[in-house]
Amino acid sequence: MDIQPIHAPPTSFLRRYIFSTDHKVIAKQFVWAGLVFLAFGGMLAMAIRWQWAYPGAEVPAVGRLLMPRSGGVITPGTYQSIFTMHGLIMIFFAITPLLIGAFGNYCIPLMIGARDMAFPWLNAASFWTFMLSQLLVIVSFTVQLGTAAAGWTTYPPLSTNVGTPGMGQTLVVAAVFVTGVATIMGGVNYVTTVIRFRAPGMTYMRMPLTVWGLWLTAILNVLFVPVLGSAALLLLLDRSFGTQFFIAGAAGGKGDPILFQHLFWIFGHPEVYILILPAWGIVSDLLSFFARKPAYWYKGSVYAMSAVTVLSAVVYGHHMFLTGMNPLLGQGFMLLTLIISVPAEVLFLNWLHTLWKGSIRLPSPMLFALGVVFVFGLGGLTGVFLGTISTDLYLHDTMFVVGHFHFTMAAASFLASFAALYYWFPKMWGRQMNETLAKLHFWGSVVGITLVFGGQMVAGYSGQQRRLYDPYQYTFLSHLHELNKWTSFAAFALGLVQITFVANFFYSVFAGKKAEKNPWKVGTLEWETESPPPYHNFDVIPLVVRGPHEYSNPEVTKLLGRDWLSQTETLPEATSSTGSVAPEAIGAE
Amino acid sequence: MTAPLPKMARNLAALAAGVSAALFSGAALANPVAELGLGLPRDVSVEGHRIDWLIKVTMGFVVILFVIMCIWMALAVFKHDEKHVAEYDHGNAKHQIRFAAGLSGLIFFVVDGNLWLNATMDLSSAFWNFSGAEAKPDAVRIEINAHQWAWDARYAGPDGKFNTKDDIVTLNDIRIPEGTQVILELASTDVIHSFYLPNFRMKQDAMPGMINHMLFEARKGQVGEYDIGCAQHCGTNHYKMKGRLTVMSKEDYARWAAEASANGARVYSEDDAGSHWGWDWKQN
Repeated sequence: MDIQPIHAPPTSFLRRYIFSTDHKVIAKQFVWAGLVFLAFGGMLAMAIRWQWAYPGAEVPAVGRLLMPRSGGVITPGTYQSIFTMHGLIMIFFAITPLLIGAFGNYCIPLMIGARDMAFPWLNAASFWTFMLSQLLVIVSFTVQLGTAAAGWTTYPPLSTNVGTPGMGQTLVVAAVFVTGVATIMGGVNYVTTVIRFRAPGMTYMRMPLTVWGLWLTAILNVLFVPVLGSAALLLLLDRSFGTQFFIAGAAGGKGDPILFQHLFWIFGHPEVYILILPAWGIVSDLLSFFARKPAYWYKGSVYAMSAVTVLSAVVYGHHMFLTGMNPLLGQGFMLLTLIISVPAEVLFLNWLHTLWKGSIRLPSPMLFALGVVFVFGLGGLTGVFLGTISTDLYLHDTMFVVGHFHFTMAAASFLASFAALYYWFPKMWGRQMNETLAKLHFWGSVVGITLVFGGQMVAGYSGQQRRLYDPYQYTFLSHLHELNKWTSFAAFALGLVQITFVANFFYSVFAGKKAEKNPWKVGTLEWETESPPPYHNFDVIPLVVRGPHEYSNPEVTKLLGRDWLSQTETLPEATSSTGSVAPEAIGAE
Repeated sequence: MTAPLPKMARNLAALAAGVSAALFSGAALANPVAELGLGLPRDVSVEGHRIDWLIKVTMGFVVILFVIMCIWMALAVFKHDEKHVAEYDHGNAKHQIRFAAGLSGLIFFVVDGNLWLNATMDLSSAFWNFSGAEAKPDAVRIEINAHQWAWDARYAGPDGKFNTKDDIVTLNDIRIPEGTQVILELASTDVIHSFYLPNFRMKQDAMPGMINHMLFEARKGQVGEYDIGCAQHCGTNHYKMKGRLTVMSKEDYARWAAEASANGARVYSEDDAGSHWGWDWKQN
C-alpha cells in the first residue's frame, strides 16, 4: 500500500512558488504572511502606547500622513479601531499563521516522516482562503467610518449597527469568519496527517512533543473554530440582514447579547490553548535537544498537554463571571479553571527537570525556549487571580488581565515562534541565521516584554481599566501616567529591537551561510534529510525505532562517540560488556 | 571559586531567597503610598479586605513559585553548562513520576485550594450574598441604568416604590450613607457597560435586556468622593464614562435624600415617558 508516491516537482514558476501544494512552500508562505501582519499589529501597539504616554499629542513622523483630518492626533474613534485591530490582527492574522500555519505545515510531515500533508490541495486552499481574509482586513481600513472598533472580542450590541455602524466592522467580522474557514481546512489536514501518515514505527508515544502540541491544537481548531464561525455568521446577519440574535435593550429586539459571549468564549478559551499548545510542544523539545538530555517524563508532558486540551473546553465561563452568571455555574467554572493549573505544573516541572543536570548549550533557539518558560511562568501564575471569582471582581477588565494574556498568549507564543524560526531556519532555507543578531534580538525582546507587560500588570493592579483612550481622566488613575509613560518607552524599545530580527531574517534568507544537514545534532526525522529537503522530503520513508529524545546515552557515546541518536538509527552490535542490552531497546518506548 | 555548598544548604538558600522575595513583594504591595504609589487603590468598603487579603496571599505564593523556578533555571544553565556531562535520565521512574505528580498536586491544593475555598466563602457570605443583603432593614436600593456614556441612578424615595413621583433620579452622581448595605440593580439601554468601583473592589456588567445585581457597603468613617468607572468597552467615549460616588454620614445622607426626593416630586411630570425608565425591584 503506497499512499505516498513520489511525484516529480512542478516546473512552472506559478505551481512551484505561488499556487504550490508542497507543505514546505505553503509553510514559508504562512511565515511571510504572518510576519507582515505581525509588523502591522506591532505598529498598532506602538500607536496605543503613544496615546497612553502622550494622550492627544500628535503622533510623530507618520501621524499627519495617516490621520490628516485630525492633524496627526489619535482621536477616540481612531483609538478604538487601533486597539480592536491590534488584537484581532495579532491573534488571527499573525500568531495563528506563524505558529500553526507555518510550523504546523512545516514540521508535521517532516517530523513524522511523511512526504506531504494528507490533502495537499486542501492545504493550498487553506492558505489562499487565509490570504482572502487578510485582504478583507486590509480593505476594512479603507472604507468609510473606518475599520472595526468594537474590541477584538466583538461583543454585541456594540458590534452590531447599534454601536458600530459602517462597512469596516462588517468586513472584519467577515474576515474572522473566512480565516476560521482557512483554519478548519488546515486543522482537518493536520489531524488526518498525524493519524494516517506517520512513518512506520512512529507510534504516538514516539512523536516529538512539537507534533503533539500542533496535533492537539489542530484538534481544538477543528472542534471549536466552527463555534466562532457560527457566532460571526449570526453577527453578520444582525449587521447586514436585520436579524436580532444579539440585539436587546432600547434598540428593540428580543435577542440575547450573552448568547454571543457564550459562543465566543466556547471558542475563545480553547483559542488561548490553541495558541500556546504548539509553543509548549516546541519548548519541550528544544529544552531536551539543547540540554542534551532526554525530555523528562515525556509521557507526563503528553498527558498534561492532552489534559489541558480537554479542560480548555470546559473553563470558558471564567471570562463571564461578571455578566450576571448564575453563582453556582460561576463556582463550577472557577473550580474547573483552577484544575488546569495541575497539568500546567506537571509541564513546568518536566521542563525544569529536563534542564537539571543537562549539558546546556545556549544558541538562540534555546535562549528563546528558556524565554518562553520565563514569560509563561509569569503569565500562567498570574492567571489564578483571574480564574478565581472574588479576585476577578476587582481585576476583571483591568490592565492586569491585559498583562496576563500578553505574557501567555502574546509573549510566550511569539518567543516560541521565534525559537522555532531560529531553530528550523537552516532546514527551511538551507542557510544559517546570524547568531549575534539573534542573541541581541532575544535579550532585547525578553527584557522588553517583561517590562511592557509587567508595567501593564502593575497598572491593572492599581485599578486601571483596559481600553481607555485617556486613563488620566479618572482621579484614581491620574498618578499612573508616569508608569504608563515608562511602559511605553519600554514598548518602543521592544519595537525597535525587532529590527535586528528583520535585518537578520532578510539577510539570511538570501545570503546567509550555507547550513549543514543537521546543524544542531538532533535526532528527529526532519534532520535526516537535506537542508532544505527535496520536494518529496524523504527518498525512502524512514523506519522509526525510538522516541525523539535520545541524548547523552552512555552506551551510545561509547559505541558512536557522540551524544545523540536519531530516531531511525540502529546501533552496531554491542560489545561484550554491554551485550545484555539489545540495541533496539535503547530509548525505545 | 568557592567550595560547592552541600546540597541541603543550597536548597535552603534557594528557599530562603524565595521566601524573602515573597515577603518583600508582599510588603511592597501592602503599603502603597496612599494614592501616589503603585498598588491597590485605598479600600473603603466593608468587605473589600477579603479580596485584598486573597490577592496578597496568593501573590506571595506565586512569587515564591516564580522565584524558585527562576533560581532552578539559572542554576541549571550556569552549573550544568556544556562542560557538564548530561545525565541520561528519561524521568519516567516510578519515584520520579510520583514526585512530579505529588508536587503538582501539593501546589494545587495549597495555592488553588486556598483560592477556591476563600472565594467560595467570600461570595456566599459577602459579595454575592443577595438574600442576606435584602434582609437587612436599612439597606439602600438603587437602580442604575447605563447608557452611552453615563450612569443614570434612581432611588425609590420615601414610598419605597420605583418609578413613582417621589423617586430621586441623578446622573453620574450616586450618594450613599456610610456603614449601610447598598444593593444595586443594573441595566443598560444600549450596549454592555460595566459598573466599577475600584475603592470597593467591585464590578458588575450592565447588560441590555437583563437586570444584574451588585452589593457593596462603605466602611464607617470613609466619608468622601470616589470614582465610578466603566470597565467594559462601550464605544468612542468609554473613557469618559465616569461617575462620582459620594459616601456621606447617615445624617447628611438622610437630609440629602429628603431634599432630593422633594425636588424630584416638584419637577415630576406624568407625560415625560423618557424619564420613567425605572423598573419594579426584582428580588434576586
